[in-house]
Amino acid sequence: MIIQLVLLVAILGLLFIFVRNRHSVRMQAGKRIGLVLFALVNVYAVLRPDDITVVAHWVGVGRGTDLLLYALVVAFLLGMLNFYLRFKGVDAQFTELARTLAIREAEIVNTERGLLPGPDGVATAVAPTPPEPPATGR
Amino acid sequence: MARDTRPNGDVWVVVPVFNEQSVLEAVIGEILATFPNVVCVDDGSSDGSASAVAATGAHLVRHPVNLGQGAALQTGLTYARARAGAQYFVTFDADGQHRLEDAVRMLELARSGAADVVLGSRFLEHADTVPWLKRAVLRIAAAADPAARRLKLTDAHNGLRVLTRPVVDHLNIRMNRMAHASEIVSYLANSPWRVVEVPVSILYTEYSKAKGQSLVNGVNILFDLSIRQRG
Repeated sequence: MIIQLVLLVAILGLLFIFVRNRHSVRMQAGKRIGLVLFALVNVYAVLRPDDITVVAHWVGVGRGTDLLLYALVVAFLLGMLNFYLRFKGVDAQFTELARTLAIREAEIVNTERGLLPGPDGVATAVAPTPPEPPATGR
Repeated sequence: MARDTRPNGDVWVVVPVFNEQSVLEAVIGEILATFPNVVCVDDGSSDGSASAVAATGAHLVRHPVNLGQGAALQTGLTYARARAGAQYFVTFDADGQHRLEDAVRMLELARSGAADVVLGSRFLEHADTVPWLKRAVLRIAAAADPAARRLKLTDAHNGLRVLTRPVVDHLNIRMNRMAHASEIVSYLANSPWRVVEVPVSILYTEYSKAKGQSLVNGVNILFDLSIRQRG
């Protein structure tokens, strides 16, 4: 059936694009255009359900609503993945923030406790771009 | 700033701490007797762990919120590598399951220049001290992990490690939760550092067993790692 091929290619293809170049401006715009198109198709499907059924028949699905359901599953999975990746990005930033804060505070506290000599170089979570390690031998 | 001239003054022991109040003082006291520089990273404990650390001579870094053991390790390493004269970094669990003699032996190996990274392994010797189910799962984990296989590791999830300065300079643990052990191994496998495993024994006390991570958590680790490799 055509639909199986279409859905699998859609999921795998979008998944690939998604994780390859996220955060790029084009990707961002692409996601939004996709969202708007999906919404428009849904409006059309509500107004002219028979047309969608015709399309569904082309690709080997019984009813137009079933085709929409499949499209919804794909959209849902991508939406979830999008949120997951976004959340992980925020989580990483949050960690850096908390770490920098923790170390700043620790340097003050441990100086007061007499464990550290007076103020000197301050550590930050952001590594000062160390030189690249030598090429791997393995 | 003057370098630390005490014996082992170039060594920093990083101890991630999460709700370990009852055993902390004893563990830290034992480490401090050999290694003067200890940094405990309190990962948002809700018990008195932070004040227990403050009562000792160990450096205290407190995460404002709980971020996970991987994040705590990285925070401790970031703090320690900013200290003058820090050359060797030992990661040590707070629950008292590691033996200090093992750490000293591993450090000697690193000092001899024969290795850039020394990892503790429960399976080179003394495997019988590990509960059998845990042993089976850890064995499978080490065998299934391509990075661990490449390094010929027998135990990819041991908390006792000795890292030398250049290794720590390049290390950036991004797996905040428990997947960090596999992340470190994969970093090492893709680096030119010489990695050596040394047999260590683990003191599986009732306390450390209760604190140890459950095997079910392996599912979470696998999920985190599989997404990361694509991300």
